[in-house]
Amino acid sequence: MPYEINRRDLIRIGAGAALAVPALAAGDAPKFFTPAEFAMLDELTEIIIPADAHSPGARGAQVAAYIDARLAEAFEQQERDDWRKGLKVVNDLSKEINGRIFMEAAPEHRIALVTRMARNEMHPKAPEEIFFRELKHSTAHAYYTSKIGIHQEMEYKGNVMLQEFVGYEVK
Amino acid sequence: MFLPDDKSEADLSKTYDAIVVGSGAAGGMAAHVLTSHGMQVLLLEAGRKLNINQELKSMEWPYDHPRRGDMPPDCHALSGAEYTIRNPPYARGLPFKHVYSYVEDGTGSDYAKDIVVDEKDHPYTGTQYAWVRARCLGGKTNIWGRLALRLSDYDFKAASRDGFGEDWPISYTDISPYYDKVDLYLGISGHKENLPYLPDSLFQRAVRLNPAEVKLRASLAKSGRVLTPYRAGVTTDGLKHNKNRSRCYGRGACDRRVGGCDIHAAFDSPTGLIYPALETGNLTLRTNATVREVTVDKNTGKASGVSFIDTDTGKTYTVKGRTVLLAASTLESARLMLLSKSAQHPNGIGNSSGHVGHNFCEHIMGPGVYGLDKELVGKPRTLDDGRPGSFYLARFRNLQDRNPKFLRGYGFEGGSGCGMFPDNAYGTPGFGSTYKKTVRDYAGAFIGMGGFGEMLARYENYVDLDPQVKDRWGIPVLRFHIKFGDNEKKMAQDMADAGREMFEEAGLEVLNANSHLLTEGYSIHELGTSRMGNDPKKSVVNQFQQSHDVPNLLVVDGSTHVSASCQNPTWTIMALCWRSCDHLADEMKKGNV
Repeated sequence: MPYEINRRDLIRIGAGAALAVPALAAGDAPKFFTPAEFAMLDELTEIIIPADAHSPGARGAQVAAYIDARLAEAFEQQERDDWRKGLKVVNDLSKEINGRIFMEAAPEHRIALVTRMARNEMHPKAPEEIFFRELKHSTAHAYYTSKIGIHQEMEYKGNVMLQEFVGYEVK
Repeated sequence: MFLPDDKSEADLSKTYDAIVVGSGAAGGMAAHVLTSHGMQVLLLEAGRKLNINQELKSMEWPYDHPRRGDMPPDCHALSGAEYTIRNPPYARGLPFKHVYSYVEDGTGSDYAKDIVVDEKDHPYTGTQYAWVRARCLGGKTNIWGRLALRLSDYDFKAASRDGFGEDWPISYTDISPYYDKVDLYLGISGHKENLPYLPDSLFQRAVRLNPAEVKLRASLAKSGRVLTPYRAGVTTDGLKHNKNRSRCYGRGACDRRVGGCDIHAAFDSPTGLIYPALETGNLTLRTNATVREVTVDKNTGKASGVSFIDTDTGKTYTVKGRTVLLAASTLESARLMLLSKSAQHPNGIGNSSGHVGHNFCEHIMGPGVYGLDKELVGKPRTLDDGRPGSFYLARFRNLQDRNPKFLRGYGFEGGSGCGMFPDNAYGTPGFGSTYKKTVRDYAGAFIGMGGFGEMLARYENYVDLDPQVKDRWGIPVLRFHIKFGDNEKKMAQDMADAGREMFEEAGLEVLNANSHLLTEGYSIHELGTSRMGNDPKKSVVNQFQQSHDVPNLLVVDGSTHVSASCQNPTWTIMALCWRSCDHLADEMKKGNV
């Protein structure tokens, strides 16, 4: 179950290439990443949490923009360096396997690459595996704290004033 | 909401009937009770008076905050690991502008950073210890966990039952009327269970349980164990006598980003105790007053008042009082007594026994069990965090039976269901639409509980003053000599084992049963260091929290607890303080103090 990618992911990613919605509002440049890095990050986050019939994915929730903004103001330069290096590791691996950088690889090849990055998720060792952990954690954090993540995806009903507690009364 | 005038200057020329040091649960209660007896009280708080509602912003959505609720980038919150791989002072050598304790929620919460202290200004040394401190009006009550439990004679007379340590100099019948007073004055939510080892309070409307919790309660009932709705120090029906506090509206904000309640349904000392006390006209409040020393009358050896440093300007002031009540928190009150050395009290005021700083105890924390109710997977979203707590599983060890491995007991705090953030998002492996659907389908199906167990009070667990290190105000800091022992480790293992068994018995799939103890201090339930007792050689204060050596000096916070029990201490701190302050007012009327 964990690493299965279903057909919908492939179809979506194929369509995504044509219909890509920019994750930054028009006119906004990324604050830390280069435009090429940003596009790559945006694609990676959307592969991790894609749009589906239930709700938009990381792209719709502007996850890359949030990660970019946090990194731009991060206190430790190391953090920024690690992310930049992480994206480079992914591109190097893509060139090694597919002969081309990540964003130029075919959609199914991108998925295959992320599958490889995710293979030791619980005990990452290789640089791309370590980067995947960070990437996924940040993507999940940004997505599930976004408006889309909270209201559409998780259908969270709380943070409202209730007259009565919900649940079963203890007798 | 009523906020006292910030610019009003406390009159430091007059002699107060009582000077109370600290404005948390104990200090607030002392101010309330003493002013209600018509005494003129000066309340000193080391920290600032915060506009707490603006700090907490309980209902702000994560996406409406530029860092989703995290602190500014130059701030750092200590991680659990940092407490174990480094030694105090933990902020030393860190490049960040501000460093906060672990309670700042990993990435650091923007909503509580002004409530807890900056570790850079407040170092301590010695053994590893996760010391969480809040210096502001109300102290830790602004963000406390709200579990409000009574102790029983199983706790007060524990030494007689199992032979370890000392009994308290009081019984349940002594404190029970004061628990009632606290219940009625501040409000408490819960469900009556009639347990001799976990006495009921005078409860307002209880929270409800969700399906997995109902299942566990029913299963436990078969073996006589009790899972009860969270006993929260929260007014769920409202308090007619307090206009500062709303009833609870189940907004679920209590545990988000540390917590706190900006409608003050959850008890906090300012709205629950201090503002009403100010309205009597008998209370003078001075914030930014870091008390440095209890001053002593050279002729009588009695306390004559305190000297304090203005936290902002560094200027020193003295003020006179007929009595001094220490409510600076466990550890800080001991520090203050040890700092108050004089010709009459060479070991520190009230310390002729040598017990100040010793007999420390608290709760162990960390072990617990995490599981899954498979029947809930894929079920529609429910609202589960709209309540001030989920459940408490009462102690079951060493009540009738005698556990061969360890003394005393533990309880569990737990809950299940959907929160705002699906915690399983980090732990669910993989990616893509399968991952996304798994997170969604499973988010509400988990149930977990963590143990809080009694750490035995031992003389050799103690704090003293560091001979070299000083805080930002030049005051010597505490040095810790505190380590969990064998009893705590065995209890931790039992928490994990028993937790697993109880989940399995209830048909819950166990995903993790963990016996790992978190660093000392983690429970934020530090107790002891100035314990009560009848014997002046073995205790620091009497049953009315009055110093054996200095009758006009009282210690009214958790420092005086003889043993930790396994119940959360706040309600007991306040009930004891109320009792002691009633007694003090009586004694003063009679001219005995």
